[in-house]
Amino acid sequence: MNTRDLVLIALFAAIVVVLGLIPPITLGFIPVPITAQSMGVMLAGCIIGAKRGALAFLLFVLLVAIGLPVLSGGRGGLAVLAGPSGGFILGWAVAAFVTGLVAERFVHEGQREIRQFVGFFLASVVGGIVVLYAIGVPWLSAVSGTPLLTAATGSLVFIPGDLLKAAIATLAARAVYAGYPLLPARA
Amino acid sequence: MLTSLYVEGRSWFHRLPVRAKLLALLVLSLALFATQSLYLLAPAFLLCGWLYFSLGLTFRQALARVGFVFFTILVLAAINLFLLPVPEVAALLLRLMALVLFAATVTATTTIGAFMDEITFLLKPFERLGLLRAADVSLALGLVLRFVPDIFARYEAIREAHRARGLPIRPLTIIGPLIILTLKDADTIAAAIDARGFRRQ
Repeated sequence: MNTRDLVLIALFAAIVVVLGLIPPITLGFIPVPITAQSMGVMLAGCIIGAKRGALAFLLFVLLVAIGLPVLSGGRGGLAVLAGPSGGFILGWAVAAFVTGLVAERFVHEGQREIRQFVGFFLASVVGGIVVLYAIGVPWLSAVSGTPLLTAATGSLVFIPGDLLKAAIATLAARAVYAGYPLLPARA
Repeated sequence: MLTSLYVEGRSWFHRLPVRAKLLALLVLSLALFATQSLYLLAPAFLLCGWLYFSLGLTFRQALARVGFVFFTILVLAAINLFLLPVPEVAALLLRLMALVLFAATVTATTTIGAFMDEITFLLKPFERLGLLRAADVSLALGLVLRFVPDIFARYEAIREAHRARGLPIRPLTIIGPLIILTLKDADTIAAAIDARGFRRQ
């Protein structure tokens, strides 16, 4: 890994920390407030690609584990990882990796704009929602004892918000791709 | 801006080596998940609670650190009440709360430096395989701590720019510029690191 990749990984982890400091947005039609930080997984994969995106999130989870309050709302420490939603946090790196893989596969330079949008949205949904829930929900069920089916049904509340996040991440990722493309120069 | 969750103190738990604390956390989690007995889980919960609340944090501070996780645990326990027998729900509740309290205790009694030393040790096998370098991990961690205040200042500047133009502050119009402006610095920072020979390349 060259120094530039290392710096990109660290800077992206720092961006995710800052996204946690931005106040969450509440929308009338969605029951849960949207934190900018939870878009980080989709953004990381779509903007710096699979490998660097995953490493940025491994670094971020390391910050959580060593006791820095970097999660939105000033949370952090091993207690969060030991709690029921620890699986979602540990799953972020995998989710960012898959997002990156899909984005790298489907988004290329010189494509029509609309195809890039579709590619980024697909990547965000597959990596940031499907893969993340596939790790987080069974984990939550195993740790808290809530039956898997109940946990999965309960998680559906978050899906509309997640789709909105995927849409915002898509627009942001495409803006960055147009302004300063990093995805093609893979690590 | 990023103050660690470490709490200054001289208790015996503070003085334990990190490795012992992390091993204890691992063993405790395995042990707690291996048993269903309330006679074992209730004392474990009380013991972890006593340990955590005797660290010198005020009650309010101590609760604020674990409050969010406890909230999730209690919500899930409330749902479980409808689906599982009561003793089982009690066992699940006590087990998770004990584990979270112990984890919070480890976090509160261990400095970032001590954690980093342990991580460097744990990464040694990977280093020997040539997969990564422990020094790179420390460097990346240092970079994050160094640049968070800068990036936050940039976020505020972009927000002010929105205000000055009378634009609504939306995440979409902020995140794009924030990421581009930040990542554009990568080349300069990388050049500065290489010029100082930090990575001996």
